[in-house]
Amino acid sequence: MVDYVLSPLFNGLFMAMVVFLFTTGLTLIFGILRVLNFAHGGFFMIGAYVAFSVVRLVGGETSMLAYLAISTVAGIVVGLLGLVVERIIFRPLQKVDEAYSLIATYALLLITEGAVKAVWGVSFHSVATPDLLGGAVFAGDLFMPTYAIFIILVGFASYALLEWVLQHTDTGKLMKSVASDPWMAGMLGVNVPRFYTFIVVLGFFLAGIAGGLLLPNQTLSPNLASTFVIQAFGALVVGGMGNIRGTFLAAIMLCVIDSFGSLLFSEVPGLFFYIAMTAALLLRPQGLIAGARL
Amino acid sequence: MRSPLSAPIARDAAIALVIVAVLLAMPLVAPKGLVFVVGTLALHIVFGLSWNLMFGQTGLVSFGHASFFAIGGYFYALVARSFPDLHPLLGFAGAGAFGVVLAIVIGLIALRRSLGVYFAILTLALSQIVYLFLSSFTPLGREDGFTGIRRPVLDMGLFEIDLARGDNYYLFIVLFSTLLCAVVWWVRHSQTGRALRAIQQDPERAAFLGINVAGNRLLAFAIASGVTAVAGALYGPWLQLLTPDVAHWTLSARPILYSLLGGVSSFWGPVVGAAGFAILEYGTRTLHGFSEIIIGSILLAVVLLFPGGILGGLDALRRRSAAPARTAKETVR
Repeated sequence: MVDYVLSPLFNGLFMAMVVFLFTTGLTLIFGILRVLNFAHGGFFMIGAYVAFSVVRLVGGETSMLAYLAISTVAGIVVGLLGLVVERIIFRPLQKVDEAYSLIATYALLLITEGAVKAVWGVSFHSVATPDLLGGAVFAGDLFMPTYAIFIILVGFASYALLEWVLQHTDTGKLMKSVASDPWMAGMLGVNVPRFYTFIVVLGFFLAGIAGGLLLPNQTLSPNLASTFVIQAFGALVVGGMGNIRGTFLAAIMLCVIDSFGSLLFSEVPGLFFYIAMTAALLLRPQGLIAGARL
Repeated sequence: MRSPLSAPIARDAAIALVIVAVLLAMPLVAPKGLVFVVGTLALHIVFGLSWNLMFGQTGLVSFGHASFFAIGGYFYALVARSFPDLHPLLGFAGAGAFGVVLAIVIGLIALRRSLGVYFAILTLALSQIVYLFLSSFTPLGREDGFTGIRRPVLDMGLFEIDLARGDNYYLFIVLFSTLLCAVVWWVRHSQTGRALRAIQQDPERAAFLGINVAGNRLLAFAIASGVTAVAGALYGPWLQLLTPDVAHWTLSARPILYSLLGGVSSFWGPVVGAAGFAILEYGTRTLHGFSEIIIGSILLAVVLLFPGGILGGLDALRRRSAAPARTAKETVR
C-alpha cells in the first residue's frame, strides 16, 4: 500500500509542485502577452544563482526566515531584470509574427546561460536545506522529507493566492480582461503597455522566487536553465494555454502519472510524463480547461 | 508580390554550383578543424532546409526535428554494426526510409488531431521520449553514446572508395548533402510544393480548390523527416560517435533558428542562417560564456531589426533603394 500507492503519490505531488512553481510566471506571461518565453528557465536559474550568492554572502545562514527572505531578494532581482527585458525585447516583439518571439526568447535563453557562465563559472554548486526543513516525517511507513512537504504546501498556497487574486480582486479582473481582449481593454481606458510591463515584472519575480525556493533541491549549473522548461511547456499546454488552474491540474496529473509509471518501468525515468503529455494533447487538444484565459 | 516559386532554376543551380565548388576546395586551403566545422555545417544546412519545407512552405511548426536526425543516425549506426557487409548506400537509404515510415505513423496521429502550437508541443513531447529512450537503452550506449561508428568503404562496382581515408568522407558529405538539398528544392518547386504553399496561406481555401490538405501536410512531414534522417545517418560516421544529445530539444531549436535567422520565405534562408550561425559559433568558440552572449545578442538584433531574416532584410533594403516610394512594410512576414 505505502510502496505502491502513497509513496509515488507523494513523490508525484512534490514534483508537480516543483513544476507548478516553475511554471506560474511562464503561464502568466503567456496568458496575457501570448509570448512563449523560452528564457523563463534562464531567469529561474538566475534567481537560484542570486540566492546562492546571497547565502554565501551571509555566511551559509540556513534559518527558515533567511531562506524565505533570500528567495524574495532573488525574486526582486529577477523582477528588475524583467523590467529591462520587457522594454528592450518583449515590447518590440508585439509587432512581429509570433514565431519570432520563439527565436527571440531562445536567444535570450542563450544570453542568460552565457551570463551565468561568465559571472558564476561552470562548476557545480549546491546549498544546504534550511535546518527547519532538513528532517523528515514518517506517517506509518511513508517517508516524507520535510522540505518536500514544505514545497507541496507552498505550491498549494501559491495556487490558492493566484486563484484568489484572479477571481476576486480588481487587479485579477483587469488581468483577465486584458488577456481576453487587449484592444477593447485599451478602449476602456486601461493603459495596456504599462499593464504588460507589470505582468512581465510579476512573471519574472515569480521565476526568481521559485529559483530561490527550489535552490536546496537543485544542483546549480548552467544546465539548470533547460532542465524544467519542457515539463513547464507540457503543463502549460495540457492545462489549456495560459490558464493558472489548468496548469496546476496538468502539473499534478502529469507528474503523478509519471511517478506511478516509474514504478512499472524504472529503466527510463521521466518517460511517462511525456507519454501522458502526448496522450493528453491527442485526447484533449483544447487543454484540460478550455477557453478560459488565466 | 513576387513569388519565390518563380525563382529560375538556372539562378539557383548557379548559386549551388559556386557553393559546392568552394566547399569541395575547402580541405586544400583550410585547417582540419575548420573542415570539420564545414562538414557539420553541410549536414546542418540539410537539417534546416528540410525543417523549412514544413514551416516556410506548409506552415507546420515541428519542435522535434532533431529526433529524426538522431533516429536516422542511430539507425544507420546499428545497421552498419549488425550487418557489416551491407552496402553503405543501402544503410543511408534505409535510415531515410525508416524516418519516412516513422514520420507517417506519427503524422497520421498527430497531424489529424492538432495543428499550430499543439503540433509543436506534441512533436516536442515525442522527441523527449526519443531522447529519454536513447539515453537509457543499453544496446545504443545510453548516456555514453554509440561509439566506434566507422566511415565505410563505398563499393562502386568497378572500383572502391575508402571513405575513412583523407578527406574522402568530407567530400562525400558535401556531395550527398547537395543531393539532399536538391531533393528539397525539387519538392519545393514541384506541383506538390505549390499545393503546400497554398495550404500554408489558407488551408480552408486550399481544401475548396480540391487540394488534399491532410495528405499534403503528411507528405511534407514525411519528406522533411526522411531527408533529415539521412543527414543524421551521415553525421554518425562523420563524428564516429553519437550521443543522446543529438536528440535533445536544444538541437531541435537549431533548424528553427537557421530558418528564421536566414529568412523563411526563401529557399536559401536556412542556408544563410545555418552558415551565419556556424560563423558566429566558430568565431566565438574560445570565449567561454561570452560566446552565448554574443550569439544570443546577434540573434536578438536580427529578429528585432529584420523580422524577415537576413535575406528578408536584404530584400527590403534592395527594394527600398529600387523604389523609394514604396514602404518596407509589405516585406515583413
